[in-house]
Amino acid sequence: MAEPVAEEQERLDAFEARIANGEKIEPGDWMPQAYRKQLVRMISQHAHSEVVGMLPEGAWITRAPSLRRKLILIAKVQDEAGHGQYLYHAAETLGVTRDELIDALLTGRAKYSSVFNYPTLTWADVGMIGWLVDGAAIKNQLMLAQCSYGPYSRAMVRICAEETFHHKQGKEMVLTYAQGTASQRTMAQSALDRWWWPSLMMLGPHDSDSPNTPQLVRWGIKTKTNDQVRQEFVDEHAPELMDAGLSLPDPALRFDPSSGHWMHGPIDWDEFWSVVKGHGPVNAERLAARRRAFDDGRWVREAMAAYAARRQQAA
Amino acid sequence: MASHAPQAGEGPRWEVFKQDALGKPHQAVGSVHAGDAEHALLMARSVYTRRPAAVSLWVAPAEAVFAVTAEQLADDDRWSVEDGGQERRFLVFRKTSHRRSMTFVDHVGEVTAAGPRAAVAAARQAFPEPPALAWWVVPADRLSASPDAEAEAWFDPAGDKTYKQQSAYGLLAPKKRDRSKGGDR
Amino acid sequence: MSDANRLDAKLQSALVARLTAMADDELILGHRDSEWTGHAPLLEEDIALANIAQDEIGHALLWLDARSELDGSDPDELAFFRDVGAFRNVRMVELPKGDWAFTMLRQYLFDAYETELLGRLRTSSYRPLAEAAAKAAKEEVFHLRHSALWIERLALGTDESRNRLTRALQRIWPYILQLWQPLPGDAALQRAGIAPDPAELEEAVMGRVSAALAAAGLEPPTDAIPHPGGRDRHGEALVSLLIDMQSVARADPGVEAW
Repeated sequence: MAEPVAEEQERLDAFEARIANGEKIEPGDWMPQAYRKQLVRMISQHAHSEVVGMLPEGAWITRAPSLRRKLILIAKVQDEAGHGQYLYHAAETLGVTRDELIDALLTGRAKYSSVFNYPTLTWADVGMIGWLVDGAAIKNQLMLAQCSYGPYSRAMVRICAEETFHHKQGKEMVLTYAQGTASQRTMAQSALDRWWWPSLMMLGPHDSDSPNTPQLVRWGIKTKTNDQVRQEFVDEHAPELMDAGLSLPDPALRFDPSSGHWMHGPIDWDEFWSVVKGHGPVNAERLAARRRAFDDGRWVREAMAAYAARRQQAA
Repeated sequence: MASHAPQAGEGPRWEVFKQDALGKPHQAVGSVHAGDAEHALLMARSVYTRRPAAVSLWVAPAEAVFAVTAEQLADDDRWSVEDGGQERRFLVFRKTSHRRSMTFVDHVGEVTAAGPRAAVAAARQAFPEPPALAWWVVPADRLSASPDAEAEAWFDPAGDKTYKQQSAYGLLAPKKRDRSKGGDR
Repeated sequence: MSDANRLDAKLQSALVARLTAMADDELILGHRDSEWTGHAPLLEEDIALANIAQDEIGHALLWLDARSELDGSDPDELAFFRDVGAFRNVRMVELPKGDWAFTMLRQYLFDAYETELLGRLRTSSYRPLAEAAAKAAKEEVFHLRHSALWIERLALGTDESRNRLTRALQRIWPYILQLWQPLPGDAALQRAGIAPDPAELEEAVMGRVSAALAAAGLEPPTDAIPHPGGRDRHGEALVSLLIDMQSVARADPGVEAW
């Protein structure tokens, strides 16, 4: 049912005033179609990223080299499932079902963070992902915790509270290995060589290539631009990695005293877009694994439903 | 014996309410997909109490929860309620602040009413202050609770898993190196 | 109640063997459970089983720490540098994870056993064991609820789920007796009030399990031939499990910290 244009504008003004006032928009409140659409896209992509993100590190659970690391890694990957869970819930408050979201992922229609389309080739990759990828994620998450849409904000606050553990356990691993045996140091350096650029790219395209950003800022969904967050990330992580005795795979990286920032070299965006479009090193494997889990589990979900129906009939 | 199940996707959704400590209200924390109420409680424990603290969980089928925001109430000039019918107990939850939080509505009490809209009307009368930003009402007979007798078993073990608490990691900082030699790299 | 320094050499040795067996059961079972991470039928179950896996591995650490108090052994050394022939877990836990019915049934049988075992170890005359058992017993309450729930839902779900559960029962049943098969030193531990009577344990567990299966309309196979051999006999499944599990640690034995 189309609303008259004047009333629509009034609604929009009131909506934007609420956001400017720091109010949360809750399910049931009026919202522009574009706001709803952007949020479903963002939240579901975020949820898919968490769930697919379980796979690169999950592969190493069986090989964790100490009992404590085994526990920590299971807990971390479990958290990723949990974060996906919170985010699917947030998306569902906008009228889409989890069945629909999962279908979109498994049929290749939905996107997820490109960073998880890279393989984990050593045990140290697990630590590097924790330090860098989760480090990058935290920056985004802190920003999104202030988001105007209530369910997304709440999911992000919960996620932020849990994510610091991910960052710290990863950092602890890498610091230990960078100062450990020769093979540990080699492993850590190899991991950094392969995960540094994907982590930078994870923070999204340059601002000039991000058409959605101004709208998202206006509607309180984003408070910083991709490049701003990326700069914060490099400033925090580059010096610490170097202090740990590792070298960054960026010959152009240098400190600029006048701005106080670490200037990084050019990002290979061709690789980024190729990976986003599904041509990354293990894109196919990631989706295949999720499809397999879904297909293998179908009979279990059918049994759940049959049992519940049987109980209903008996009641 | 049924050999074909009804459409079996992720299963029905259940809203989850968690009580952090005795004396505090149950709060809406999110939802789980599960086959039935008992399953939903076990899943809620797994998803929402991985870290301390909790003493009780409630679940209710999402379709049994009637939700309305202050904006929706203001829009609706005549908040019409259900006519007659059996009076039932409804649990009332509300949100009263825009403050940043992990939880949505808090349990505030109960009303009896002939239906969910009547329950909201009664709730606005019964709990007028502070003004609510959102209300949820849930029929009491649709709510399932975690067994109080097993609260220790369900919720204490999370406290022992210190390896997943960020506070267990302390300050992790590499020793600063002298980077003045060999340029700014 | 007694502490480590009150046990004679014979009892210490028997207790070390018993603790190792218990720890190996938990470690291998926890490892199998952890293989589902990222692959479970429902996102919520992925999270639930990951918690159970953490609990089991945590229990392994409890028992290995108790063993360490007796003989100064290092839990990681034991986990990552023992060869397959030195492991003392029961065969049931090393079997590959199979499908959801197999995993849930195996978990249920072990949970029933662990519940009864821990209930008795809580009153062990050896204080560190009693304390560790009390801690583990709390977690076990939830495990049993969860696995029992799945036995019921799979048995009373669809034809397919029931068939898969029946096949799992056929497969696992021959291994169940090994759970209470006593180790050489167990008789002495029992006399000292440290460990329970295996016959009594068997009766309690079988009582529980029979009732649960009957309620689900399932019957244990009557023609199952009990699997022979003690806890020192393993199959090829454990070989590939350990090759994977120990690979990173063994690649650099000189490492002091991971």
